[in-house]
Amino acid sequence: MLVLPEFRLTHDNLTYDDLLRIVELIKSSEQFSEFRLKIGEIEIELRRRKGAGAPWIVAPTEAAAAALLSTTPAADSKSSDLMPAHDPTARVAPTWAPESIVIRAPMVGTFYRAPEPGAPPFVKIGQVVEPDTIVCIIEVMKLMNSIRAAARGVVAQVLADDGATVETSAPLIVLDPEPTP
Amino acid sequence: MTPARRQLRRILVANRGEIAVRIIRASRELGLEAIQAYSEADRDSLAVHLADGSICIGPPPSSQSYLKGDLMIGAARAAKADAIHPGYGFLSENAAFARACEDANIAFIGPPARAIALMGDKATARRMAAKAGVLITPGSPGTVSDARTAREAAALIGYPVLLKAAAGGGGRGMRVARNPDELPDRFTDAAREAQAAFGNGGIYVEKFLERVRHVEIQVLSDGQTVLHLGERDCSIQRRNQKLVEESPSPALDDVVRARMGDAAVRICRQVDYHSVGTIEFILDAASGAFYFMEMNTRVQVEHPVTEVVTGVDIVKAQICVAQGEPLPITQDNVRLTGHAIECRINAEDPARDFAPSPGQVRGLRLPGGPGIRIDSHLFEGYRIPPYYDSLIAKVIAWGQDRDEAIARMRRALSEMRIEGVHTTIPFHTRLLDDARFRAGDVHTRFVEDELMGIA
Repeated sequence: MLVLPEFRLTHDNLTYDDLLRIVELIKSSEQFSEFRLKIGEIEIELRRRKGAGAPWIVAPTEAAAAALLSTTPAADSKSSDLMPAHDPTARVAPTWAPESIVIRAPMVGTFYRAPEPGAPPFVKIGQVVEPDTIVCIIEVMKLMNSIRAAARGVVAQVLADDGATVETSAPLIVLDPEPTP
Repeated sequence: MTPARRQLRRILVANRGEIAVRIIRASRELGLEAIQAYSEADRDSLAVHLADGSICIGPPPSSQSYLKGDLMIGAARAAKADAIHPGYGFLSENAAFARACEDANIAFIGPPARAIALMGDKATARRMAAKAGVLITPGSPGTVSDARTAREAAALIGYPVLLKAAAGGGGRGMRVARNPDELPDRFTDAAREAQAAFGNGGIYVEKFLERVRHVEIQVLSDGQTVLHLGERDCSIQRRNQKLVEESPSPALDDVVRARMGDAAVRICRQVDYHSVGTIEFILDAASGAFYFMEMNTRVQVEHPVTEVVTGVDIVKAQICVAQGEPLPITQDNVRLTGHAIECRINAEDPARDFAPSPGQVRGLRLPGGPGIRIDSHLFEGYRIPPYYDSLIAKVIAWGQDRDEAIARMRRALSEMRIEGVHTTIPFHTRLLDDARFRAGDVHTRFVEDELMGIA
């Protein structure tokens, strides 16, 4: 997280040199693709050109600025104060056994575990699914796409959060192969 | 009742995509400022770039941004906007939102909340139409609470039935059930889609008529003068999503046109309507009989077709009425000149059953020349997000007659290139070459039952 420990930032004492330091810090950090700061009437917005890693979703300006200004110094901390739900680095990479079957997103969209809000999920951990069992929905451009297991197995893990945006071929659900009776 | 006279200064655009751009253009021509409300997914959008200012209202899912009335009103206050334009979809037919705007002393650019409540709810709207002496299709008197009640209503009406979102529009939350066995699943599908699209899962049941045309009348009212701007034929649909619209309809003669226009005006007077709106009818072309289907209490996607043949700027007229200005024209001034066709270009792959195709536009060439109008929010490098509907451009062609309009549309589509995503351009090209379409001999199931059937 960006901090300028010696300063109490106000619009009175923010100098041109401070601004350069902020820009340098942003440039040298891999953690930021976008930065906004608002102090009194001064508003700074910095954006890294494309190619700086994962796509980021940024909190609205006021919230972001508030988060920045209220955070305690911690030079090595992740940017999770800004975007806890979306930080791609915050989640431990999922793992599964080599014999597992991974159901992947056939398209980019929004992942839903249940047919409607409040309804029980399509599948639960430990449940046996058949190839034609619907395991989740991916909503793309207002179209609900039912995703089928395409294989027989036991649901071992659900990797995507309900309502999360998933990219094409992102792992969604892990099935353990069921021993044939 | 006429809305009070008030000069607007700054409009918050509470929508996205091409209609946001359309509203910004109308505002600018009227000398008003436009502030774009946008979700995080639309930060880098044409509307944000064109607007006089912009304000972020939340994360990408529309349920957390464009459908949030309280956020919109908060954004309007923060932006010091004195009006909100809701566009189509999202909050445009939400009576509670319109009322909240009125309470916050922000002009809602649309009809009064009371008219939306009456006509935006499809079930109440049918009762209003019947009161105005207009034929309606047989259906449930109100919404049905669950699949069992829907089945009881369907038994009385007779199969096939159409399950329709009460809050709906744009073909969302709509399913056909052909027998009692498939009704429960269709009901769940329709209710879920309605909930996702409109935040309201209410469903009603009506008789599903086959081999009919969809013809709608554009209405315009200042509270005193109620007039209509002729019809649009929207029979080219797929799964109740309009794909092509044209005006005039190849299936209407002057007698039926006058009767339909008159019916639309009567319905507006029945509910003391003002602003722009559309009355949708089902037309049995053979007999000339038509039935009220629903009213859309907002500007429609296909409004440019009417603008091109009448010369009336519908979005500007809507803003002027919201300012309390009297309409500068009467019914006698309205003439349909020539013929206009609109093709909706969607980010969908017609070769893969119209699968959505979000992604980055890597190359773009838009058509031009005589008689061509493009309403679009595309630019080269633009990322079409997966969160919203797939409409990316509207191509409107005008000609002296229908043949010339079709020829210009074919020529325009042959010029048009959108690289990086799949689009419905190949579908339109095929449709425009089809002899039955060229003869005007189509119905609302034509695309699914006939055109796409023969690969």
